[in-house]
Amino acid sequence: MSFLEQERALFDLLFDSGVRENFCKNSIAALYQYDLSEEEQNDFVVVRPDALELDAKIRADLLLSHFCRAFPVSFSIVSSLEGGFEVLKKMIDVETMRTSSLDRIVFFGRRLGENLNSFSFNSPDEQIKVSAILEAELGMAWTSASLKREVLENGQLHIKSPQLDQNWSNKNIKLAPYVCAAMIPESYEKLKSLFSSDADCDLWRSLNKKPISAARRRKILEKDDPRLFIARAHVSHMSRCEPTIDQKTAELSEGFAPLFQHVNGTVSVDYILQQLKQIGAQDEMLQSIKATFQQLLESEMLEFS
Amino acid sequence: MSNHIEQLPTLGVGASLSLSSDPDPVSLVRAKGGPSFVEYSGLVDVDEVIDEVEKIKAAGAPVLFHPSYINFCGSYPNSNAWLEATSKHIETVESPWFAQDVAYCFWEEGPGYSTSLGYFIPPTFNQASLQLAVERVKEVQAKVSVPVAVEPPPVTFITGTLPLFTFFGSLAKQTDCAILLDMGHLVSYEMASGHSVLDAIDELPVERVVEVHIAGGRLKEGQKEDNKDGKAAPIYVDAHECTIVEQTWQMFETMLPLLPNVKAVCYECEGVNESRVLTTLERIRKIVREKSASKALLESLDGRK
Repeated sequence: MSFLEQERALFDLLFDSGVRENFCKNSIAALYQYDLSEEEQNDFVVVRPDALELDAKIRADLLLSHFCRAFPVSFSIVSSLEGGFEVLKKMIDVETMRTSSLDRIVFFGRRLGENLNSFSFNSPDEQIKVSAILEAELGMAWTSASLKREVLENGQLHIKSPQLDQNWSNKNIKLAPYVCAAMIPESYEKLKSLFSSDADCDLWRSLNKKPISAARRRKILEKDDPRLFIARAHVSHMSRCEPTIDQKTAELSEGFAPLFQHVNGTVSVDYILQQLKQIGAQDEMLQSIKATFQQLLESEMLEFS
Repeated sequence: MSNHIEQLPTLGVGASLSLSSDPDPVSLVRAKGGPSFVEYSGLVDVDEVIDEVEKIKAAGAPVLFHPSYINFCGSYPNSNAWLEATSKHIETVESPWFAQDVAYCFWEEGPGYSTSLGYFIPPTFNQASLQLAVERVKEVQAKVSVPVAVEPPPVTFITGTLPLFTFFGSLAKQTDCAILLDMGHLVSYEMASGHSVLDAIDELPVERVVEVHIAGGRLKEGQKEDNKDGKAAPIYVDAHECTIVEQTWQMFETMLPLLPNVKAVCYECEGVNESRVLTTLERIRKIVREKSASKALLESLDGRK
């Protein structure tokens, strides 16, 4: 019997809907699973069940408002799906809340990905597009969390910007740290503005007031202008407590994606260009590809291996 | 009571504002009948807010830092990095005291703002919890150079059977700290517990109350079945952007005559438009003149509308 056990019970009452429902029916019976003395149990008898329910509801709403900032397009899409809000709310549970605060958003995003199968989409193609968008947002959440952990554990990072000398194109290249890449069906900025153009700064509240309609979702997602979306997490404000992480993004044409698969530290830009030349690529195209790689190196999305 | 509390400066009637959104703190400070000090709930790192704070101070108002990331209760200690950043923040902005709600802002998963739990989780009102709160307050006092003031948090429901003022009176005496009373939070306790806070007024060291808050809130209809008149007892929800409910005004008028050492009355009005802030401040000053037992506070109002 300990106060820690009372804290565990309190936490579960707030974030475990099963425990809370049982508690509202029979408070003492619901507390049997905790190692509490009679006196400690009695501390919970004074809880107003209706107020506990309201508290949990408001709390989940505030947490979702927070999570929504990491997944603006995905949340907008989910708002258009039947039962979407319920799925999001159900994921504010002990499993999510017991995940370390650094990893919680990523964990939540992964669970959302697993739950996409439970929704009904217009077509398999639409579901693939939605998964790709979530994957891109999840990638950014993951690199943000990883960078934040690195900064909190080891302090200021000293990432060397690649120096591009005359021979830069014959050096092997790889993705820089904290970079994610994903193929998405449309420009990310465009998706954000199409899905949440009339949202105020609190997107979650806007979506609750006015969810995206299924027709609007279908219309937006039926367009096909795929992009290779690349994002690099960077520290925009250094702190020993709460560093702020932002993302620098770039979008490349769909055709660049197969080339990007070779960016694994074992080949150089010259090598890639040579291979392309052998299969008949024109000089103009090769110059354009070289310039794009140069930009990616200069913007620190790529680095020399 | 220690001299360090008695000797705190009198700040008068001020406002709690968000530094980054409306109403604009500087404009309000300069307005006729505006706040004589500004309280803000900012980020832990002072360099993130110092530019805004300097503008407020240049307009003639001192500031109070009132964050929402300190655990003043519970088993999970505050991190040294966060406490050190807090100390630096307080010293840099010259906040004369340091107050925050006694509530859980984070759980064992790691330090952070109260948003990581949705919002504050209130402490259990029992002896074991009280002793941990003493530990947490002393932990903060050891790091910060100004007096600490503890504030009863807003509650939708309560756990534990110690009366609110018994818990906070004992906490203040054991740690030799000051007290901040938020009128809406007291109303929330009364609605959640079904008891008047005044039942235990003798347990409250009233001379330690240096600051009073008054803020907007919402009353949600509850579903309590056992109240005498058969009506659903309301549940108080803290909501600064809303109007101040009648029960809160009544609490303000009831408490002011009991508090001889109040140095600051703060209207928490984030998200309220400027003209409503000014008319509300006028009403607050009128009530302070009529009801306050604090001579210093009354003197601070001389010559103000």
